Formats: sequence, structure tokens, C-alpha cells
Amino acid sequence: MKKNKMKIWVGCGILCVLSVLISSWYAVAFNDSRLVVPTDFENYVFHAKDLPMIISVLITCIYMFAIAIRLFIKIRKRQKQVEETAVHRKVNPGLGFLGLFGFLGFAGFWTYSLNGTVYPFAFFLFFGFFGFFYEGKMSGTFMDERFRENADRARLKAYRITFEVMFVALVILCQGKLFGSLEHTLIAAIIILSLALASGLFLSEYLLYRYDHDGQTDEGEE
Amino acid sequence: MAEFVCRLKRYRQMKDLTQEQLAEKVGVRRETIMRLEKAQYNPSLKLAIDISRVVEAPIEEIFIFK
Repeated sequence: MKKNKMKIWVGCGILCVLSVLISSWYAVAFNDSRLVVPTDFENYVFHAKDLPMIISVLITCIYMFAIAIRLFIKIRKRQKQVEETAVHRKVNPGLGFLGLFGFLGFAGFWTYSLNGTVYPFAFFLFFGFFGFFYEGKMSGTFMDERFRENADRARLKAYRITFEVMFVALVILCQGKLFGSLEHTLIAAIIILSLALASGLFLSEYLLYRYDHDGQTDEGEE
Repeated sequence: MAEFVCRLKRYRQMKDLTQEQLAEKVGVRRETIMRLEKAQYNPSLKLAIDISRVVEAPIEEIFIFK
């Protein structure tokens, strides 16, 4: 994306945030906090003073929708470019640090004990993002037949491991209640499925890197 | 399993080509040519034909399965 366009998008984002902040302040100061505090929309009656809040939220939604569409188009363009040039997409290896978000999964133990919420366990899935580290190392690599063959082999092995883990876990968990509690069974299922999918994401990149680089220490021009 | 022997290195050197040059001519990476020469990689039929055309030698002379 050109720098000017980027500036326009960032500027629009800042304007959206500002409009929401200002309209929230207006609603709190002059409109009894309507639409700021949780609102029951079944009994909602429109007031003219609600307009700033409605408009700012609408603008922000449109902006986010536009961003999502732009992102989708960009991803499609990149995929097409990769197919045409046969060069692996460029990824910053630093994105691998996103895998650290996987530790958020441990928050599930805290939220479960607090109010019974179990969805944070799904954050274990983020461990799969450690694969970006290896994908980043393969950035810009020309994808010849050996590379494609290795990619298929890596993906196949990663998926096989993932499905084996999921299959074994499901067989065990479907036997009945874990520790005598259906909730514990659900938690175990979420954790195992998240970790299995994360390992699939990670292994497909890691194994590709390994297959491509194994025995490369003696790769001198002969 | 059949033993795979590759004589690519000999034919490449006869044509005075570097691994890089050969790789570029047949549309693969240098690493792939290196693996081929070490008989660590079985090429596709297309790649084998491309290589045999570039080094001007029959496929069965370059790639041998014993």
C-alpha cells in the first residue's frame, strides 16, 4: 500500500475513534448516558440526541467493514501473485512472537474458577503462530518442484499428527465424564482440540523448513 | 527399493555449467540441483527431460535406477 493511502486509512481510523469518544462524552454529559450504558433495544425509543452516537458507531462499523474488505482483497492479490511468480509469500519472522498469545489459554483456568467461562482455553490455538517464525525464514523462496513436494509432505504429516491426536482424544473423551464432570470433559476437549490444531499449524511450517534445509550444511557450489 | 544413481554432475561439468546456471535453465533452485547430484532427490519426469535437454544427454544416462 502506498504511504499516502496508508496515511488516509490511519487518519480515517483516528477520526472514527475520536467521533466515538466525542459522541460518548456528549451522551454522558447531555443525554443521560443513553447508548453508552447497556441498552434494552426492545424498548428503545429514538431521541434526536442519540444521533451523534448512532452516526459515529455507524461510521466506525463502515470503516471496519471497509478495512476487512481491503484486507480480503489484499490477501487474494498476494495469493494470486504467489501463484504467478512461484515465490513464497513474504512474512516477517517476528510474527512468530504472536505464538506467545497461546499462553492466554492458561487464563481459562482462572476464568473457569471465577465464573465458569471456558472459551479462553481456545487461546491455546495461538501457539500455532510460532510457525510464522519458520515461514518467515522461507520468505521469498522460489517454489520449485522440490519445494512444493516438501510442502505437501510437511502438510500431510502435520495434518496426520493433528488428526491422530484429535481422534485419540475424542475416543477417550467420548467414553464418559472426565473426573466425573461433564464440564471437565468439555474443558479437556477444548484444550486438546486447540493444541492439536496449533500443532498442525506449527508443524506444517516447521517440517517444511526442516525438509528444505536438512543436510544443507555441506551445500557448497561444486 | 531400487538404488538411485545420478550422473548429472559429470554431464553438467562437461557442458561447463555451474549448478546455479543449470538451475536457472531448468527452472529450479540451486539446492535442488545439488540434491539431484547427490542422488538425494528423485526428479519429476518433466525436470528429468528438461535437464537431459540442457546437458544434451539421454535421461537414462543421467539418472540410473539399479
